[in-house]
Amino acid sequence: MNPPQRSARAKPYPIRSWRDMTPMNVSMGTMLHNLTGQWRFIRPLYEDKTPACQDACPAGSDIEGWIKLLEKKDMAAAFWHLKAEQPFPAVLGRVCPAFCQRACNRSFLDECVGIRSLERFIGDRFDPVPRHPGLPPSNNKALAVVGSGPAGMAAAYFGSLLGFTVTLFESHAEMGGLLRYGIPAYRLPRDVVAREFDGLSRMGVRLRPGTTVGKDLSFKDLQTGFDFIFLAIGAHQSLSLGLENDAASSRVMSGLALLKAAAEGRPPDLGKKVVVIGGGNTALDAARTARRMGAEVTVVYRRTEAEMPAFPEEIRDAREEGVLFIFLAAPEQIDLSDDGGIARLVCSRMTPGEPDADGRRRPLRIPGDRIDLFPDTILTAVGETPDLGGLAGDIGSVNGLIPTDGMLRVTGPDTGSAEIFAGGDAINFPRTVVHAVAAGKKAAIAMDCQRKGASPDQTLAAIAAGKGGGVRFSAYAGRLPVNPVKQNPRAVVDAEKIVYDYFSKKPAMPVSTLSPARRISSFDPYTETWNERAAAEEASRCLHCGRCTECDNCLIFCPDLSVMKEQKGAFGYRIDYDYCKGCGICFTECPRHAISIIQEETVEHSGEAPAGETGH
Amino acid sequence: MKQVIKGNHAVSLAVKLSRVGVVSAYPITPQTTIVEELSKMCAGGELDADFIKVESENSAMAAVIGAATAGVRSFTATSSHGLLYMHEVLHWAAGARLPIVLANVNRAVGPGWNIWADQGDSVSQRDTGWMQLYSESNQEALDNTLMAFKVAESVFLPVMLTYDAFFLSHTSEVVDVPAQTQVDRFLPPYAPRFYTNTKDPKMFGGMMIPEYYFEQRYVMHKDAVDAVDAVDAVCREFSKTFGRDYGIVEALCCDDAELVVVTAGTLTSVARIVVDRYRQKGIPVGLMKIRLFRPVPVKTWRSVLSGAAKVVVLDRNLSAGLGGVFASELQAALYPMDDRPMIFPVVAGLGGRDVTPDDVAGIIEDVRHREVSDGSPVFWGLKE
Repeated sequence: MNPPQRSARAKPYPIRSWRDMTPMNVSMGTMLHNLTGQWRFIRPLYEDKTPACQDACPAGSDIEGWIKLLEKKDMAAAFWHLKAEQPFPAVLGRVCPAFCQRACNRSFLDECVGIRSLERFIGDRFDPVPRHPGLPPSNNKALAVVGSGPAGMAAAYFGSLLGFTVTLFESHAEMGGLLRYGIPAYRLPRDVVAREFDGLSRMGVRLRPGTTVGKDLSFKDLQTGFDFIFLAIGAHQSLSLGLENDAASSRVMSGLALLKAAAEGRPPDLGKKVVVIGGGNTALDAARTARRMGAEVTVVYRRTEAEMPAFPEEIRDAREEGVLFIFLAAPEQIDLSDDGGIARLVCSRMTPGEPDADGRRRPLRIPGDRIDLFPDTILTAVGETPDLGGLAGDIGSVNGLIPTDGMLRVTGPDTGSAEIFAGGDAINFPRTVVHAVAAGKKAAIAMDCQRKGASPDQTLAAIAAGKGGGVRFSAYAGRLPVNPVKQNPRAVVDAEKIVYDYFSKKPAMPVSTLSPARRISSFDPYTETWNERAAAEEASRCLHCGRCTECDNCLIFCPDLSVMKEQKGAFGYRIDYDYCKGCGICFTECPRHAISIIQEETVEHSGEAPAGETGH
Repeated sequence: MKQVIKGNHAVSLAVKLSRVGVVSAYPITPQTTIVEELSKMCAGGELDADFIKVESENSAMAAVIGAATAGVRSFTATSSHGLLYMHEVLHWAAGARLPIVLANVNRAVGPGWNIWADQGDSVSQRDTGWMQLYSESNQEALDNTLMAFKVAESVFLPVMLTYDAFFLSHTSEVVDVPAQTQVDRFLPPYAPRFYTNTKDPKMFGGMMIPEYYFEQRYVMHKDAVDAVDAVDAVCREFSKTFGRDYGIVEALCCDDAELVVVTAGTLTSVARIVVDRYRQKGIPVGLMKIRLFRPVPVKTWRSVLSGAAKVVVLDRNLSAGLGGVFASELQAALYPMDDRPMIFPVVAGLGGRDVTPDDVAGIIEDVRHREVSDGSPVFWGLKE
């Protein structure tokens, strides 16, 4: 507000005697001409920020946003808002490693919000997957996606949303890649995977199962027929143990081979006792699959439990199901019996040595300290690598992986006209389902930038969420945030910024789970999807970190009446900087850091816009 | 209707009868039960007022300042350290000319930690601009509360009414509790001179430069001096409405007294017995009970004491390095008189120590046998 003109001010009140004096000095008009905001040294900023969960999500899922919509009981809005960043809620709601939950600020109050179960709830509410409501016209570019795992699915989904004509190739008989052949059905039922492909095909994605690029179709053919290619061929080749007899017996097989055989409905005979070598998720999937086939299963891992790459809940569930573990042991020698079976597996005891490059202590053999095991079958799961097959010559490889740059563009030899990108487990990238989805999305956006002649690096940097860098498709597509207020997606709201005094404890909703004995009797899923009531209860536990909920604390606490409701019932608040003295109380009392503060620019620096958030 | 109630309860009932709009307080022994009772009344709907819970006495006073600035009749209560914690805002309430009523249960100030009767807490606040009324009984505490609102709202100065810890606050006496209709007749709704109004925004108590501050303080002083007559008028109106007589002081047998005992609070009741005994023996001893201590009723004090040769002032308070505060104030007030009496200051009963009729008789006998006073206090009952 502008100060009133001097002439408009009250006339001076002459006091010539104490008799003229009023008992109390009260101004004759308003004091609005006194712009007390000039006294301010710190400036409160009312802007929504990135919650710790979204920052931790490789796919940049706006978890807080869809939970807020869920709380409002707007199920369809929640579904589409969720899918805006992570298109497969029914799948990821079951098998996502849920980095969001590990980052959830609620953990410092009681326990994290059950984000993954909420996601599953939303995903399962929409069966079949409805057709996407806002498909754009074709951009006249053809995109070939090779591999129909989560990276390929995401690239196909977002590619379609960007107007590409997408063809999705899968070498196996059924679509889904790792989701179909690498993850056991008790964790991810087949119909859930199939549902997503129905959704994709309803969006116009052409599905080509049973088609191997490099065999049924040459890479050259692809380059000729398509403007863009996205390679998401996964890592389907198991590394060997490197022991003398590890390929000499059919009783030594890879964990992946077992999972694939089980998925195809032709499980092999494993015998009574099974030893699984390895500590990753494949090892545990293989172990739990073997358990469901009636075997006694022991996992042998060369490091300690804390260093296992497998997700903690997988380890917990495996243990509940009777899987035994031997830590700090590594296979040394396989003795074969006369009939081609395994007579003995000799393992060495290990001890943690010096930390290696990734910070974990390198296990060292303890000479002479051995364990003899007598399994019927050995399942190996010590790592996987892509099966580049016929592609290696065209795209090159580095350490067995497809070489890419930061925009996921393939940097190997490029012999054709098509723009070639790659993602998922086949490139040098963290190997989780959600990282794969993130890669597919990022590649789709990078390809669209390329198509339009824009710079992918700058565009991708501008639409990243928080510091974690999950790329936000919604920001790229210009989709509005749930809260129509100023956004500062770079700023991350972690636990130290939350005012926990404002939140009361409430235990997490339990997930109904079958008993371990019932679980191992079949390959059926063993956890239930929440019902509406449970989901609503859990959604109410979200702290909405960094996002305004109109709790009115700032409005109530502002001593200068400088925080005001937005006019005409619009969402949120307005800070009147003409009068805000910068006391910082709104910032201190905002439970969720939707209000932050920055230093005011001093006179010497005037002319420059205030810098970004400086934190607490 | 007559009830047997404790002093704190009597004050709560008076506050309710006064139809206050806002109560804000922080608990402290021995004040707590006043506001406990009021909060119950607010919660139960018996009293249509907002009870504002706060984290300190400083905030309690700030809250009632806000309420009074908004033009609402407001009340708070405290004691001892709580009152001292209000000190800064007490000045503000008076300077802003807000007719707030505060009940202070007189309690000693620590250390040593002491919850018993001592008037050191309220007398130490004598320069804040608040009016101060002292009470001798539960009935007087109730009546003073009603009068406090009436006086405060007529002169626009806050009033602190005080009464002794435990001797009154936690002791049951017969109290005649007036009917609401009677009180309503005596105390009409508060009519503020100025108050906050969102339709006509103004600033209250802003910057005041040296050119003006002096005059405004003078106006406050003059209004305070004139308030003595306002208190007198309110007392007379009170007598007319309720049939109980009060004045600026209570003068008992002072007209022909050669020696007058001056007291405030419950010490008065003890002194009454002793004065009565002397009168029965035909010895001309009188009693002056201080009711209004701020503003200082100089004229009244002089006229009541003008005939006496000796004045004994009993102080249940101590200003270290000076002596009793009532004696000091009386000395100052009487000094300009040509035939001023000799003043014998006595400090007694600090920290709730009992002062018996025999003590008061001993004090009087001591003074009767002294020819001159050097003005310095005698510490009666001090273990030598």
